[in-house]
Amino acid sequence: MIGVGSRREPAEGATGEDRMPVAARPGWNELDLAAIDPLRDRPFWMTLSQLPGVGPVGFARLLRRYGTAEAAWAAGPRLLDDLVRIPEEAPLALRRLQHEGAAAAAHRLTEAIGRVGGRPMIALDADYPAALGRLNVRPPVLYVRGDLAALDAPSVAVVGTRQATGYGRSCATAIGHELGAAGVTVVSGLAIGIDGEAHASAIRAGGHSVAVLPSPISRIYPPRHRLLADQLVATGGALLSELAPGQVVGRPDFARRNRIIAGLSMAVVVVEAPDRSGALLTASAAIEYDKELYAVPGPIDAVASRGCNRLIADQQATIVTSPAGLLQHLGARRAGDESIAVSSLSDAEAAVLHALIKRSGSIEELMSRTQLPTGSLASALTLLESRGLATSYGGATFHVTLVARRMARHG
Amino acid sequence: MLADTLSASILGVDGVPVRVEVDVAFGLPGLTIVGLAGSAVQEARERVRSAIRNSGFEVPARRITVNLAPADLPKEGTGYDLAIAVGVLAASGQLRVGWRSDTALIGELALDGTLRPVPGAMALVAAVRAAGVPAVIVAPESQAEAAAVRGIAVHAARSLGQAVAHLASVSVLPLAEPTPLPAASAERREPDLADLIGQPLARRALEIAVAGGHNLGVFGPPGVGKTLLLHCAEGLLPPLDDGEAIEVSRIYSVAGLVDRRRPIVRQRPFRAPHHTISTQALVGGGPRVRPGEASLAHRGILLLDEALQFRGDALDALRQPLEAGIVSIARVDGALDLPARFSLLLAFNPCPCGWRSSSSRACACDDAVVRRYARRLSGPMRDRIDLWVEMVEPSRGLPSDGSEPSGAVARRIAAAWDAQRDRQGVSNAELPAAAVLEHSSFARGALAALEHAADTFRLSPRRTQRTARIARTIADLSGRETVTRDDVNEALIYRPVEVSP
Repeated sequence: MIGVGSRREPAEGATGEDRMPVAARPGWNELDLAAIDPLRDRPFWMTLSQLPGVGPVGFARLLRRYGTAEAAWAAGPRLLDDLVRIPEEAPLALRRLQHEGAAAAAHRLTEAIGRVGGRPMIALDADYPAALGRLNVRPPVLYVRGDLAALDAPSVAVVGTRQATGYGRSCATAIGHELGAAGVTVVSGLAIGIDGEAHASAIRAGGHSVAVLPSPISRIYPPRHRLLADQLVATGGALLSELAPGQVVGRPDFARRNRIIAGLSMAVVVVEAPDRSGALLTASAAIEYDKELYAVPGPIDAVASRGCNRLIADQQATIVTSPAGLLQHLGARRAGDESIAVSSLSDAEAAVLHALIKRSGSIEELMSRTQLPTGSLASALTLLESRGLATSYGGATFHVTLVARRMARHG
Repeated sequence: MLADTLSASILGVDGVPVRVEVDVAFGLPGLTIVGLAGSAVQEARERVRSAIRNSGFEVPARRITVNLAPADLPKEGTGYDLAIAVGVLAASGQLRVGWRSDTALIGELALDGTLRPVPGAMALVAAVRAAGVPAVIVAPESQAEAAAVRGIAVHAARSLGQAVAHLASVSVLPLAEPTPLPAASAERREPDLADLIGQPLARRALEIAVAGGHNLGVFGPPGVGKTLLLHCAEGLLPPLDDGEAIEVSRIYSVAGLVDRRRPIVRQRPFRAPHHTISTQALVGGGPRVRPGEASLAHRGILLLDEALQFRGDALDALRQPLEAGIVSIARVDGALDLPARFSLLLAFNPCPCGWRSSSSRACACDDAVVRRYARRLSGPMRDRIDLWVEMVEPSRGLPSDGSEPSGAVARRIAAAWDAQRDRQGVSNAELPAAAVLEHSSFARGALAALEHAADTFRLSPRRTQRTARIARTIADLSGRETVTRDDVNEALIYRPVEVSP
C-alpha cells in the first residue's frame, strides 16, 4: 500500500512471490469473500489498506491467513510478518493506526473523502466495479467520486503518451468522440496529452468517461485537469483512486493506476506511445488480464509512435485503422449520426479540406499538394479551424476533425 | 576677471547646453572645477593647464574657479576641455575684448594643445544649435558629425591655438561643408532568404513582421533555420528616411558607434545581442546613462536568438519599449527617456534539449522542466508578440523548387512601407489601437471574420487588435487598400497557440 509519508519506488516490492506472474500468484480468486460480513469488516479494510506494504497482493495474503481484516487487525504487529516486504515505516504506521483505532480511522477517511464529494468503496461492496471484481489482484479499497454506473456500459480504455503529437491528439479525439457517441464509456488516466483528449472528446460527444487518478481524489493530478475532472463527474462519469484523501504520497504511482485502468475496461486502445511509455504498462496489464488490446499505428519514423508500432508488429495488439473500424471491432454501434450544417466553402478552402482528408500535413506539405500560395493556404486553414473542420492541436501539422470526415463521408 | 564660454553635455541620447563660467581671482594659485563634475572632468585641470602652456599661453598664477552650469546636472566626459581652456584665457585677459564669445566649444585637449574628438558630437551640436548658438568649434575628426546638423556654422580646429586665433579673429577657420545625407545604398546583405530551405509559413511571417514593424516569435528544434531566417530580416529592411537617419545617427553618435567620416546612418538598425547580455546593456542605463541595444535598435529590429536563455529581468525590461517605444531610466535626479521603437524578433527552442516538437528525435526533458522553461517568457511578453510561428523540420521528399531570394521580398516590403507612410504616417504596428479600424477600410466580411475568430479562438481584445494590424499589413503587402476576409484569416494563423489538454 502507499506508505504514509513514505516515498515508494515501484520496483521495491518486486521480490520473491511478487515476481511471479500476477495470475499465477495466490490471489483474490481463491478467497472465500462471501464468508466476510462486509459491514462489520469495512473499517478494518479501510484502515489496513492504509498500511505501508499492504497492497492488493499483501491484502489478499492477510485475508488468506486470518480470514477477515478484523482478525488480521487483532493480530497486531504480528500481521506484518505475513507481508513479503515490510517497509521501514510500517511498524510505526501500524502503531499509530492501532492507537487511533480502526473505527476512528475509517471514520476520518470517510469524512475526508466526503468533503470532496466522494465516498470509499471496498472490494466487498455491491457496486464495486464488476470488472475489477473478476481480477485475481483487486484494490481492496477504492475512493470514488461520481457515478460508477457509467462502468456498467461497455468500457474501453484509451491511453497514450503525455508528450502527444498533433497526430496523437487528433486520433485520441477522434476515437474518444466515436466511442463516446456510441455509448461506450471511455476510461483513462486524466493525464496531459492523449488521456485528456480522449476524456474531453468523449464527454463532448455526449458520452461518459471515467478517470483513474494516480493521486488522491482530493488532489487532482495533473492540477491542470481539475476542470476536466469536474466535467467528467458532471456528465455522469466518475473519478477513481486507490489513494485515500489527504494521503501523502511520494510520486504518483502510475504503474498501479494503469493496471486499474486495464482492469476496468473490456479493451485497451493505445493511441500513441513511444518506447518505455507508461501506456505500454497499461498494454501489458491488458495482455495479462486477457483484455482486447488495440494500437493506433504511426509513421515508421515517428518516435512518439514507436511503442504502438511495436505492439502491432509483435502481434500483441490489433491495428486500429479508423475510429469507426475500432467501434466495429468492439461490436458497438453508434448512437446516431448528427447532421452538420457547414456554410459553403471557397474553392481554396475546399481544396485544402480535401487534401487534409486524404492526409494530415504541415503547411509545407499542404502547399505542395494544393499548389496554393502561403497566404491563401494560411487563410483557408484558419477558416477551416474556426469552423471546427480542421485543427493543428497547437502544433505545426494540420488534421481534419471528425466532423469534417463525417461530412465528407456523407457527401 | 570673469568669462564664460559654451559647451554641451550628453544626457541619455540628447545633448544639453552647458555654460562654462571661469573666474580668475586673487588667492592661492590653483584650478577648481565645480558643478557636479565627474572624475574625467576633474582631470581636465591637468590637461587644460598643460595645453595652455604648450600652446604658448600662460596659466595665471591665481585662484581659478570653473563652474559648469546648470550646476545640478551631473557631467561626465572630456568635451569641456576646450571651453574651460578658452574661458581661462579670456578671464585672464589673454583674449582680446570683443572675441567671439557666442561660439560653442566642444572637444578634448591633448597636453600639447591638440584638439581631440568626443563621442556624440551630433547630439552636442544639435543641443547648442537649439539654444540659439550661431557657431561651434569642434575637432576635425568630429567635423562631419557636427556638420550633419543644419542651421549652425561649424568650424574645425586642430588645436587650442587655432581655436583661439579664430575666436580672436586673427585667422578665421573655414566653414565646414554641411555633411550630405548619403543616398540609400542597395548593397546586398548576407544571409539571403534563398539560402533557407522550405519554411514557407515562417518566411511569410517574417515578411509580414518586417513590412508592418510587428514583433515575431519563432520556435522549433535546432537546425531548422530559425537563426538564419531571422538574420535575413536585416536584408529586408528598407533604408531609413531622412528624418529617421538623423534621429538614429544621433543615438549612434552618442554611443560612439558611428564612422566619424561618414556619420549618417542610412541602414536601418539591426541589433542581435548575445543572450548573456546584462539588463543594463540591453535597455540602457548605468551611472552615465548610455543607450542600450533597445535604443540602438530604434527604428529597426532587435533580434533575440535563443530568447529563453536571456535573463528573465532583461526580457521583462523590454515590455516598456515594446509598448511605448521608449525606455524610461529612473535616476536620482528624475527619469530619463531613451527612444527605443523597434520590432522584436525572437527565436527559441521549445524545451531545454530542443527536440520537444521534433518528429525525428525524442525529447529528453521532463514535462515540469519544459513548463518552467516556457515560463521564462512571461505572459505579458508573450502577449506583445504579434506573430507566432512554429518551425518544423522540412518534410522529406518534397520538391524544393528554389527559395525566393531576399531581393524580391524586400521589394514587396518597400512598397508596403510606402503605403503605410502615405496613409497614416507611421507603421501599422505603431498605429494606435483606436486608429487601426479607422485608418483602414475593412471589408464587411473581414470584420465579421475578426469577430467570429475572436469568439471561436477566445482572443483577448489586445490580441484582436493585433490581428487587425497584421491583417492591415497583409493587405498592404498585396497592394490592396481594403482589408479582406482572407487577410484576417491569414493573420489569425499566426496567433499564439494554447496547447489543449
